[in-house]
Parts: sequence; structure tokens; C-alpha cells
Amino acid sequence: MDKTTHHNREEILTAANTARWELGLDFHDTVIESIYSDASQIARKTVKLKGDKEAYATDITIDKIVTSRWLGFPLMFLLLALVFWLTIAGANYPSGLLSSVLIDYLHPLLKQAATFIHMPWWMSGILIDGAYMAAAWVIAVMLPPMAIFFPLFTLLEDLGYLPRVAFNMDNLFRKAGAHGKQALTMSMGFGCNAAGVVAARVIDSPRERLIAIITNNFSLCNGRWPTQILIATIFIGSMASPQLAGVVSAGAVVGIAVLGIFFSLVVSWGLSKTVLRGEASAFTLELPPYRPPRIWQTLYTSLIDRTIFVLWRAIIFAVPAGIVIWLVANVHIGDLSLAEYFINWSDPFALFFGLNGVILLAYIIAIPANEIVIPTILMLTVLSSKMAGVGGGSGVMFELDSTADIAGVLQTGGWTLLTGLNLMLFSLLHNPCSTTIYTIYKETKSLKWTMVSTFLPIVLGFVICFFTTQLWQFFGW
Amino acid sequence: MNTLFILSIQPGLLLLSGLIIIAILAWILWPQKGGLARFSRMKARSQRELLEDSLKYMFDCEYRKAPCDMHSIAGNLDISVDRASLLLEHLFSKELITLDDQAVSLSDTGRSYALRVIRVHRIWERYFADETSIDQADWHNEACRIEHNVTMEDTEKLAAQMGHPVFDPHGDPIPTAEGTLPEPTGVTLNHLKEGQLGRVTHMEDEPKSIYEQLVVLGLYPGMQIYITDVAENKISFVADGDECSLTPLFAAHITVELVSAKEPVVSKNELLSSLQVGEEAEVVAISPNCRGQQRRRLMDMGIVPGSLVSAVIKSASGDPVGYRVLGTTVGIRSREADLIFINRKK
Repeated sequence: MDKTTHHNREEILTAANTARWELGLDFHDTVIESIYSDASQIARKTVKLKGDKEAYATDITIDKIVTSRWLGFPLMFLLLALVFWLTIAGANYPSGLLSSVLIDYLHPLLKQAATFIHMPWWMSGILIDGAYMAAAWVIAVMLPPMAIFFPLFTLLEDLGYLPRVAFNMDNLFRKAGAHGKQALTMSMGFGCNAAGVVAARVIDSPRERLIAIITNNFSLCNGRWPTQILIATIFIGSMASPQLAGVVSAGAVVGIAVLGIFFSLVVSWGLSKTVLRGEASAFTLELPPYRPPRIWQTLYTSLIDRTIFVLWRAIIFAVPAGIVIWLVANVHIGDLSLAEYFINWSDPFALFFGLNGVILLAYIIAIPANEIVIPTILMLTVLSSKMAGVGGGSGVMFELDSTADIAGVLQTGGWTLLTGLNLMLFSLLHNPCSTTIYTIYKETKSLKWTMVSTFLPIVLGFVICFFTTQLWQFFGW
Repeated sequence: MNTLFILSIQPGLLLLSGLIIIAILAWILWPQKGGLARFSRMKARSQRELLEDSLKYMFDCEYRKAPCDMHSIAGNLDISVDRASLLLEHLFSKELITLDDQAVSLSDTGRSYALRVIRVHRIWERYFADETSIDQADWHNEACRIEHNVTMEDTEKLAAQMGHPVFDPHGDPIPTAEGTLPEPTGVTLNHLKEGQLGRVTHMEDEPKSIYEQLVVLGLYPGMQIYITDVAENKISFVADGDECSLTPLFAAHITVELVSAKEPVVSKNELLSSLQVGEEAEVVAISPNCRGQQRRRLMDMGIVPGSLVSAVIKSASGDPVGYRVLGTTVGIRSREADLIFINRKK
């Protein structure tokens, strides 16, 4: 019995195969065609249209304006600038508030409590100065801008405007071998690279999606803006006359951001021509109808799905890093701490690239979040140059209120204009933070592409810093 | 502190050495032309590759009913005749072939081995055509490289993923896992007479130089061909509305199946990219050169023969154009719009 069914099955399969050979090449297309014609016949019989033309007419009028040759791009820049301005201006106050509560007020309180219950000094160091401090710092600097940026961005998306941005920008990105929607993931990356990487899901073509993920790190994220602004003010703004200092340093920061966009396009082009050449690629871009945004739903989804999600991931990575930061500054072998050993050992190598050992160590141990790079640099500089009376002790990250005081600490640490410039470049071109790296792995499910996204920018950063430094010294500036 | 000596080197010298290092790395790693790519191409073919390639060739001869001997094998595999004779001895000792004087033919084991290799080759070609962006002219070479290194299980998994394709992208049937293959049908283009109508079923992908030229001419399996003139050294025809002519040598690389029912398409179809904003047209066909994901995406959006499209907006930078189809607006790049044939409404 079994044997006959098996035999029958074989026979049917063979017959099916022969039939498929006879049907020829266009068989699939014919099937789809007939499905569509059947569907439209059914629709014609059953669906009644009423006033559809009108609704579409408004859409097309708006579309004609936002995609027009002369108004399209200015409108886009204006809207994006507005979003960024609202984010920066709006985040200032809540960030300050959070930082004063979590860092200036709660941190000493926790330390006192630790002393009160006779917690050993190393334990309070690891838990409060290390883990708590890193988490508090990440929350204070990351939460407010994200809580403003993401809802605004989601509103634009919900409104239907963002697909039009992709539609307008596609020409540029096509020339770089990428998808127009990369303009959106890039803009999202200016808020947070991890969110930008997640946003690359909107790109349905495998090759272009990978390109968008790998190059997202070239968008200067919200954790790096403060670093750029601070260093530009100290080292570049100070070269100009006091009236122009603000404009010059702002110009330098924008210059770095534009350089990031430039690298993003060049690297996209390079990737699409080399390692990603063979990946599948398809382009269609749906332009959905405009619709009034659902404000509450937008607020909810962008706060829960994006802000809290990213923040939580960042905190998870920040806590162990805080512990490591405290430990390297406090574990001594002989007279020197681990941090000092590393700084002394890596200094010659780092100077070769116009950086220094402190910067290298800071970028290694502050990998969970770019927000804590400057506090870590300040702490390590004070530690390694044995300054007294500045900061909160070894292993405790800190920030100073006045820019002049920070400049003083950095200059004592041996920083020059060249160091500042290279830090700005390196801050743009280095590995993504661990939250982003983890997100890239989650999104691509591939160790290979995670490694490429991690090491490509850092290699690029070292190359650019090396040539900047050597050219600088060659011309004897 | 001897690491510090590096800082005392002249910056000019360092700049120069930095540039040299980059140049050397580029020379080694440059795709396709770099040292590494050259080296991996130069690697001699392994015994297994030679064995499988020769079986494939012998099967091809058998399928086309062409004679096959040691010299033609040596020529096809680009090896010396001595090496070919050693290879044949090896094949004979493994009972994969039978020798009869000069003629070589496959044994049953040899034939099923060859069919397995061909199945792997054609499934991978199908995969490259539909699921990757590898150039059309490179499908064959890539499949040749990969067919000796993949397992049958991986290939079967791939075939299942693609819905068990039965044709490779050149129009050749893919042997079943049991090793059956339909009889060859159709005639080569050089045998057609004036006024005959046919459909391209196969384009021979070897040698690559001829295949590349046929691809450049825009020919592909599935295309309709209408012979307009046959001369001593030139065959002229209309292919999907385009005037075309080939020498008999080139025409012999194209296999055509005769069609009688349909009206010949003599006039050239217009392309979607020529549609100006505000105009409407009916989709006639999507070119078979638009494959895989791209084709599926377009069809999912409603770009199928018979549906109405109208161009509604142009992007600020000019390139993607928004088309209205089935009640939605879809942005399509001009590169893809060039592959969609339309018929303007009168």
C-alpha cells in the first residue's frame, strides 16, 4: 500500500515537472496577471466609489509644492532645521534639571548613605561612583533630546511628509548607490544612531538597507554634538575675535556634521561598488496619502518604542562601563593606576595620530555612550597629570560649569589646537557606541556586517587623523 | 622609550609612507583587478573541478548530439591533451565513462553525476539572476566557481526557497533532483526563414565573449522574434519591436521556439520613462531584464500588463517620478521605468 502511494506521488511530481517545463518561462507573470484581472473584475462589480477624486486632489496639490524644483529642498532644510533647533533648545533645561538632581544632588546623598551604613570604600566606589554615575549621566544627557526629537520626527512621518523627503533626495542617494530613504535614517541618526539603524527597516531592498545601517554612524548623533560644541568653542572659537567666536565655533561644528554626510555618501558609494556589489537591490517608493497625525498615539509609540527602548539599552551598557571606568582609575599596580599605565603606554602611538593616550582610553572605556566621553576625558586628564582640587576624585566622572575651566584642565593635560581638531574628527569617525553595535547585530543578524560597521569608521578615523596631523606638521602650522 | 623614535621622523617622510601604505593596500585589495582577486583566480583548478567540468561537457555533447573525444575535451577545459588523457583514465577507472575507440560517452553513473552538477549550476544561476545584483555576464562564471564547493543539501534548500525553479535564466531546463531532463526543443536562430515568428528559449552562455555581446544587444529568453530578412551573412529580425541583425555564427547561439498564433509585434513599444507628468497609459509588459525582487515589487504595486498608469509628480531633483497606479502613488526611478513597456491611450 505504502509503496503504491509513494509510487503515485513520484508519478504526479514527474508529471507536474513536465507540465512546468511545457508552460515555459513567463508562467509566473501570467498567474499574477490573471489574479489582478480577476481582482479588478470583482472590484468593479462590488466596490462603489464616492468622492474619491476630491481627496486625492488635495494630496496632489501639496505634493506639487513639496516636490517642486525650487521649493522642495528649501522647505525640507527649513523643517529639519526647525526639528533640530526645537530639540537642542528644548532639551537644554530638562537636561540641566536632571543632571542637577541625579548628579549634583543624589550622588553626594548616596555617598553619605554609603558612609553611614559603613559600606567599604571600594564597594561604594564601584556601585555609586562607577555604575550609578554612568547610568545617571546617560539618562541626564540622553533622555531629554530623544524625548523631543523622536516625537517630532514621528509626527513628520505620520503626516506623510518624510516619504516625500526620500522622494526628493533619491537622486543624490542613487548616485551613491543608496536608497532615497537613507536620507531619513541619516536624519534619524542625528538624533541617535541606534534609532537610525532600527529605522533602516523602512528600506526594503537588502543592499541599500545594509548600506544605510553601516553608514549611519557617520551621522553626528546627539551624544556627540555637545563634545563637538565644547571642543570647537575652546580650541577653534578662541582663535577668532570674541564677537565672531560663537559663529566660528558653530561653523566648525556644522562643518564636521557636513563632513559626516560627505563620508556617509562616499562610503555608501564605495560599499555598493565593492563588498555589497552582489547583494539584491530593488527600488520602489510608496508615497502614501497625507493624513492628520494621531498626536497621542505618536507620542506614545515614539516615547515607548524609540526613546525608552534606546535609553534602556544604553543604561544596560553604561552600568558595566561605569564600573570599568572606576576600576581602571582606582586599581593600582605599584604606584600607578591601570589607567595611567595604559595612557603612558599608548601616548606615543596616539600622538602619532595627533591624539593622546587619555583620548584613546576614554573612547575605549566610554564605549556605551558618546555622552560620557568628555566627563571621562576630564577625569582621566586630572588623574594622569596629577592635578589637585579639580573634579570629584579618581574614577568619578565630572563636568565643569565654565568652559574656561575645562579649557584650563585640557591645556594642563597638554592639549593643543591640533589635538582639539583631531578629537573633533575622531569623535565623528570612530566606532559606534555599544548600544548601536548591539542594535546593528540585532538588525542584520550578521557578525560580519557588525564588524564592518564597527571597524570601518575607526580605521577611517585613524587614517584621517594621521593625515591631518602629518600635513599640519609638514606645513609647520 | 624606543617607541618614541617614531615621533622624531620628519612629517613629510611619514606622509609619504602613509600614502605608500594606502597605495599598496589598494593594489592588493582592489576588487576584481587587485592582487588578491587575481591570485584567487589564478589558483589551479582542483582534480574535482576538472572531473566535474569534463562530465558536464560530455553531457552537453550528448544532449546536443555532438561528437565528443579527448581533443574536444582538452579544448573545452583548456588543458593539454596529455592531461586530458590522464583525466579520462581516471574517469574510466571510476566507471563514470565508457571508451569506444576514440569516442567517449558517459556511463549511467557518470550521467547522473553530470546531471547533479548541472542541477547545482543552473539553480545557482537562477539564484544569482533573481536574488542578487551580480551582472548578467557573470552568472555563469560565478555558478561555475560555486558548483564544486556547495553541498547538494544547501542547493536543495535554495531551490525550495525559490519555489523549485524549472528553468535557469538562460532558458535552459533545470534537471530534477531525480535526474530527468526534457528533450531539447526549438531550433537555433540561424535556421529560421523570413516571415517566421518565434520566441527565444535559450541563449548559450559559452563562450562569454559572444554571450556578452548578445546581452548588450538587449536579447533575452522570452523575447519575441520576427524574422524580416535572411541573407548569406546576415540575419535580420525584429525583437520586441527593435530592429536587430546578427551574423549566422552569433545567431547559432540563440535557440528559438516557433510561435504561430500571435500577431508579430513590429512596432516598438514606448517606455514608461517617456510618459510626461499628466499623461496616462496602459502597461503592456515588464521587460524580462527586470528580474527578481525588483520585478516582484513592481507587480505587487500593480504594475502588470493591462493596468493604467499616469505620471503625477516629479521629484525636486527630477529623477524618481511618482506614478499613480491602482489608487496609490509609487515613485519609480527612470532606470526601472525604462524596463516597463507602455501603450499610450489614444
